[in-house]
Amino acid sequence: MAQILLDSIDKRFKVYERPDGKWGLIKGAFMRKVRSVQALDGIGFQIGEGELVGYIGPNGAGKSTTVKIMSGILTPDCGICEIGGRVPWKDRVKHVSEIGVVFGQRSQLWWDVPVSDSFSLLKDIYDIPETQYQERLRELTNALNIAEFLKIPARQLSLGQRMRCEIIAALLHRPKILFLDEPTIGLDAVSKLALRAFLKEENKRSGVTVLLTTHDMDDIEALCSRVMVIGRGRLLYDGALCGLKERYAAKDRQNIDEIIAAMYEDMAL
Amino acid sequence: MRKTVRACLSLFRISLAENFQYRTSALSGVVTNLVWCFIEAAAFGVFFKYAVNAGFSGGLTLAQTISYLWVREMLLMLLSYGINDELLTKITNGNVALEMCRPLDLYWHWFSRITAGKVAGFLMRGVICFLIAFLIPGGYGARLPASFSSFLVFLPSVFCAFLLGNAYEMLVTAIRTNTTWGDGPMHMMMLLPKVLSGSVLPLQLLPDFLQLVLLLQPFAGIIDIPARLYIGSMAPSEAWFGMSMQLFWSLTFIILGKWVMSRRLKSIVAQGG
Repeated sequence: MAQILLDSIDKRFKVYERPDGKWGLIKGAFMRKVRSVQALDGIGFQIGEGELVGYIGPNGAGKSTTVKIMSGILTPDCGICEIGGRVPWKDRVKHVSEIGVVFGQRSQLWWDVPVSDSFSLLKDIYDIPETQYQERLRELTNALNIAEFLKIPARQLSLGQRMRCEIIAALLHRPKILFLDEPTIGLDAVSKLALRAFLKEENKRSGVTVLLTTHDMDDIEALCSRVMVIGRGRLLYDGALCGLKERYAAKDRQNIDEIIAAMYEDMAL
Repeated sequence: MRKTVRACLSLFRISLAENFQYRTSALSGVVTNLVWCFIEAAAFGVFFKYAVNAGFSGGLTLAQTISYLWVREMLLMLLSYGINDELLTKITNGNVALEMCRPLDLYWHWFSRITAGKVAGFLMRGVICFLIAFLIPGGYGARLPASFSSFLVFLPSVFCAFLLGNAYEMLVTAIRTNTTWGDGPMHMMMLLPKVLSGSVLPLQLLPDFLQLVLLLQPFAGIIDIPARLYIGSMAPSEAWFGMSMQLFWSLTFIILGKWVMSRRLKSIVAQGG
């Protein structure tokens, strides 16, 4: 049975708009135009244990919304979502103890205290036994090469260093599933490569299921055998990356970014 | 349950460590508190002189009032114009999403953080200011409690005041946990306890016909009840009443806060990225 199962998930958001025209500013203070935006429109897919799946789509396609639903933060309007046999938003506390999440644009580390303090706090939050914690921490710090700045406050780390710490924070409790929302955003080449190598290794060794959203096609090419494309809240493609390449590659399009751009255009996104 | 308590204690520790880093701000805070409270004490000195000459007598003596002011200054950390800055930032920029990815009850998770912030402020600002105030001459400084037993009931009452203040702030936080709202309603809700806790004017100096209501309303427990016990205008034998009021209102705010929070989390919208 699939570890992650989504079926016809819908999610709408309310958007407030200011009326047009000369008096729009004043009119808007009294009556607002409320418009409903369909962020997800019948999304459904299945992911098995230990898979490494890329989740791509243009900005505003609904990638983060899907990740938020799967991590129990958002409640969809309708549809089925079962992860490890649980409904994330109904059984939130149990569910989140088995997943790890990294939002590339947000930090889960305590800003003003050393990173190691953040880690030991997570140990208590996830109730990890001391010996297991020490062993896991050593393993991760060695793999990501961050032992030397464990005692530095998070605010003084560079982005690449911090992102490596974020990944550790998400993996300390040995989650079964890892959601990565744009983990390589803003990273330099060296950090990116190190991160990719680590993720691949971690997936192979501990069998953690990884769902990765990104705009960096090299991430997908390096990591994921399976890729899902989402646009306007709908799932448009689900399969191997080479399938996409075959369909959209042309003589003048060899670069993967160009191929994806051609696909977005073709699907009228 | 045990697991939650341990995690919350750990959170409390890390937030405390974080708060203790702001040493300079604590120092300037102490100076502000000292100067401000001294001016107020002097003003009360003038008021009392004219009132006594004109034959009025209020609910408190001048000595009790000045002592009340300094106790209030020590507990002032319990009242602020808004909810905890860190939590407010998380709510407005959507980082609340990450807090929800923790296997913890968000209510107690945040409760421990708020408490840590206040305890740090209380120790670094309130208590230090109070101790220095004993050195102020001319009857304008802090005084010893009315009696030793007054002091003994004052301590648990301060503990209850923390519980009550935080439970109320958590209720406001839960109401504010709506990422697309502004801060207006929050400021209004936070202003209420400023007036009704006695931080502006000792409640016993307000008109007689209001006294019963003032004592029974929820916010007396944040400053007024501990201060009354300290200066002896509430006898130690009546402390059980004051503290039951504090605990009753704390419990009410906790139940309400948890209820609002669980409703909010169902409809929360974490914006952006």
